Amino acid sequence: MKWERLIHIDRRVIFLMMALAIIIPLLFPIHMPMGVQRVTQDLFDKIDSIDGEEQCLMISTDYTPQTEPENQPMTMALLRHGFARGVPVLLNALYVEGAPLLAQAIDSVMVEFNRHATSHADSIIYGRDVVFLGWQPPPIVPILGMGEGIGNIYPEDYYGNRTDSLEVMQWIEDYDEVGIVVAITGLAAPLWYVQFAQTKYGVAVGAGCTAVCAPDFYPYCGSGQLSGMMAGMKGAAEYEELVHKTYNTRGRRKATEGMAAQSAAHILIMVLVIIGNIAYFATRRQS
Amino acid sequence: MKDKLPLILMIVAGFFGLTDRFLPHPVAEGFNQYLRDTLLRIISAFALILGLGNLILRHVNKIQHKGDGWRHSYTLLISFFAASVIGLFGGVSGELWFPTRIGNFQFDITTIYFQMLIPLGATMFSMLAFYMASAAYRSFRARSWLAVLLLGAAFVVMLGQVPLGHQIWSGIPEVSQWIMEVPNTAAKRGIELGITLGILATFLKILTGIERSWMGGGK
Repeated sequence: MKWERLIHIDRRVIFLMMALAIIIPLLFPIHMPMGVQRVTQDLFDKIDSIDGEEQCLMISTDYTPQTEPENQPMTMALLRHGFARGVPVLLNALYVEGAPLLAQAIDSVMVEFNRHATSHADSIIYGRDVVFLGWQPPPIVPILGMGEGIGNIYPEDYYGNRTDSLEVMQWIEDYDEVGIVVAITGLAAPLWYVQFAQTKYGVAVGAGCTAVCAPDFYPYCGSGQLSGMMAGMKGAAEYEELVHKTYNTRGRRKATEGMAAQSAAHILIMVLVIIGNIAYFATRRQS
Repeated sequence: MKDKLPLILMIVAGFFGLTDRFLPHPVAEGFNQYLRDTLLRIISAFALILGLGNLILRHVNKIQHKGDGWRHSYTLLISFFAASVIGLFGGVSGELWFPTRIGNFQFDITTIYFQMLIPLGATMFSMLAFYMASAAYRSFRARSWLAVLLLGAAFVVMLGQVPLGHQIWSGIPEVSQWIMEVPNTAAKRGIELGITLGILATFLKILTGIERSWMGGGK
């Protein structure tokens, strides 16, 4: 009878336990050292090998506010990596809902770098070091069209500037000047880039995805079609730590901060599954 | 003609979409680029109007017939029209003629986006964690050896996805990575190959006019 009651425990008790497991580590954060997965290291190494004089880093996103906590730290970590290495960064949004999030990420990381800049050369300047191309629907149009000319697809950037008037766009014409496109996604954008842009124009593609999407992308990492991947918030945290340790960057590392809460939530689910199973087998034996 | 015109248009567009991949001729590439960069955008705009129209009609209909959860349809319609009016006549940041500020209270599209859409979206997605915990507790049972295997793999991957796994044993993330890279990849490749072959077969049936259900009427 005791086990029976345990099996039919009120779900609000479980919700409360989950809420506490997430809220307490967020309120009292503890730093947890972690290893780096091979796919994350591969992505970092690929971006680290881009020659900023000849090629840029492109960040393309299809995420919306729903997956912002998981995806936004990825975008910010990539921006930090590009800025720290002096590699120009081009960004575009494949869906309109994600565009303001990208603008917010750019503003935030630019402020972070410019606060400590000592000269014009040190500073991050819009148009020279970073360009936000904006949003062009439907996704297939920019993905394929940028292979024939980025300026054709994006005659104006997100802020209404003519792209051909921007300094960095004087030498970036198409995918030949893109070292890698990292598609940050809650859906399937990396696959669209692999299927359309990579097969036709040979551009390298990387991924940053929510944890639930990650199993879909591992086959493409294995085949080399994806140069690397940030899988879920853990992947974002690993990338943040890699960039921070290598370039001593500043700014909040939100994915790393979330790791303790994610650990607690995972452990709680595992404990609940174990208790549920014990109760289930105990009741079965009794009956 | 009602049936033949869309069929002809589809066959021509499908044919050029196909040849672009196999025939790198400037004429084929140019036409394909025109289809993609110009026509596709126009069709997308029409699809958007069609989608929004359908959404409005569906919810108006629901309210009229007092269907399941009809009161929620009011929320959708009011939010939809309010956001449309504010966005169309107030501009993205309140730069147009429609007033988007009362005293210190701002309600332009940017404010709505950052202060409402992001928190609401994140809330919806984060609620999954609560439902998942409850569902896992009630239904994840080790009833057979296969279920035990699944449970074991799930535990390893879950531990591999958090730093705690690394602290318990440094090999856990590697085992988790192996599960994702080998058994997961093998299964995914099999599934994807099957799906791709299915897509190819459907595409050929549509291109040759055998499959016409997309035109409506279930022919």
